[in-house]
Amino acid sequence: MAEPLLILRDVSLGYENRVILEHVDLELGRGEFVALLGPNGAGKTTLLRGIAGLIPPLAGMVHYGFDRAASPLGYVPQRDTLDPTFPLTVREVVLMGTYARLRPLRPVARAQRLLAARCLELVGLGALAEQRFASLSGGQMQRVLIARALAAEPRLLLLDEPTAGVDAEATAAIMEVVGRLNRSDGLTVLLVTHQVGMLGGLASAVVWVQDGRAVRGRIEEMLSPERIAGVLGAGSPRG
Amino acid sequence: MSAFLEILRPGFLLRDALVGSVLVGIVCPLVGVYFVLRRMIFLGVALPQLSAAGIAFAFLVHRTVVGPHVHLEVGERALARLGASAFTLCGILVLAAFERRGRGIVEARIGVTYAAAGALTILFLAADPWGEAQMVNLLKGDLLATTERSLAVLASVLGAVVIVLLAFQKEFLLVSFDRDLAVVFGKAAGLWDMVLYLVCGVTISFGVMTAGPLVTFGFLVAPPLTARLITRHMMSFSVASAALGGVAAFAGFYCAYRYDWPLGPAEVAVAVSLLVAVGAMVRLWRALGLRPT
Repeated sequence: MAEPLLILRDVSLGYENRVILEHVDLELGRGEFVALLGPNGAGKTTLLRGIAGLIPPLAGMVHYGFDRAASPLGYVPQRDTLDPTFPLTVREVVLMGTYARLRPLRPVARAQRLLAARCLELVGLGALAEQRFASLSGGQMQRVLIARALAAEPRLLLLDEPTAGVDAEATAAIMEVVGRLNRSDGLTVLLVTHQVGMLGGLASAVVWVQDGRAVRGRIEEMLSPERIAGVLGAGSPRG
Repeated sequence: MSAFLEILRPGFLLRDALVGSVLVGIVCPLVGVYFVLRRMIFLGVALPQLSAAGIAFAFLVHRTVVGPHVHLEVGERALARLGASAFTLCGILVLAAFERRGRGIVEARIGVTYAAAGALTILFLAADPWGEAQMVNLLKGDLLATTERSLAVLASVLGAVVIVLLAFQKEFLLVSFDRDLAVVFGKAAGLWDMVLYLVCGVTISFGVMTAGPLVTFGFLVAPPLTARLITRHMMSFSVASAALGGVAAFAGFYCAYRYDWPLGPAEVAVAVSLLVAVGAMVRLWRALGLRPT
């Protein structure tokens, strides 16, 4: 594995002392594309939120191989967590990504505006900059959120089910963008998904989350038919 | 027309009341923008009521400890400000702490706060019968009693509120729209929430002191709801909310002066009329395909 960008040592995660995941040991190398898979409710999003620093570990240690203040995380939440009543254009949403490196009282300058425009172009939505964010389709919203994450100029991009609830064409567009960023720019990607079929040729490894544990392995060895059935909700895998 | 020109004259007798009205009309919607976007509209009812309870409590304590205060003396307003600010800030901080912990039903907490604050206001007043009659005007919001001195204090405080809202606009927007992202970026999301709540609390307590709970709530909610119908950027949303609030306050003042209506209800009626008119216009435009959705 390449030089670790992220290390989890004996990490337990949960909410209000209710443990969801225990004894998680995990490493992520620079430039890797890793998928977080597992049955519904297994704790994939909990693990991602723990890595993002949104929930503190109940035990263990999360270590980043970079300075988070100098290089913020890129984070793409599930889009339905964002309130559509906010009167925000696509440009304003993407600009929020640049806030990561802006101190209080520092205004958004030309450099940040250019960066946001460039990130929007990268996801192929430059023409929609002045559209209302809430008026976009699910797939477009997700790409805007990816652009926003890129505007933080991250080394590690975390995505929480970016293709949930979007059609096949939009899924392909989103995965093309993420794959390109990983291959061309060397961006390290950790992605929660249920859509196993779209990982072919993109993900180099899988972290399988089930029964309170997270196990990492190569994609071909982790994706047995039983496990895939579990991810798709067609049955209970033996894990 | 002559009434309109009269209130614009520099020597207009109620000039301070007019300026105070417009100031509240401009600044309350700037704070109200966050109430609307964060879906805390009902907090806008509960907090002004809490502020009123604070005023009644301050007078009761003053009467018990020092003795009766004199209506319209300088100390009366300072006392009222202290009570209003203390109750509003404590209330907003406690409600914010409950919200962060995510326990219970938000509407239930706000409803209980409103009911308790309303009951306490009456109980505090009943316990201080000497001052009750004099305090009624203050609790209703004695806009017409605005003096040059109280106007100066109001302008300084609301000016500071505007500066804080402008200076930390990106922080307030980030924690309001996507708090998780703020945390991921290492921002002190809790601190920014707190600063925003404090700004809201200060604005509400001074709004209630100047214009009363009804007008404060009306201006917290109606102009932002109107502006949301016609704007698509965050900045234009805030600017339009403030402008609509200022226009509604001025027009309400004019109507009250011209037709001898009670001032506060006249201002709220104008603000709500604007909301209804703009809403109808936007619907019509959309129906005619004249406005992009």
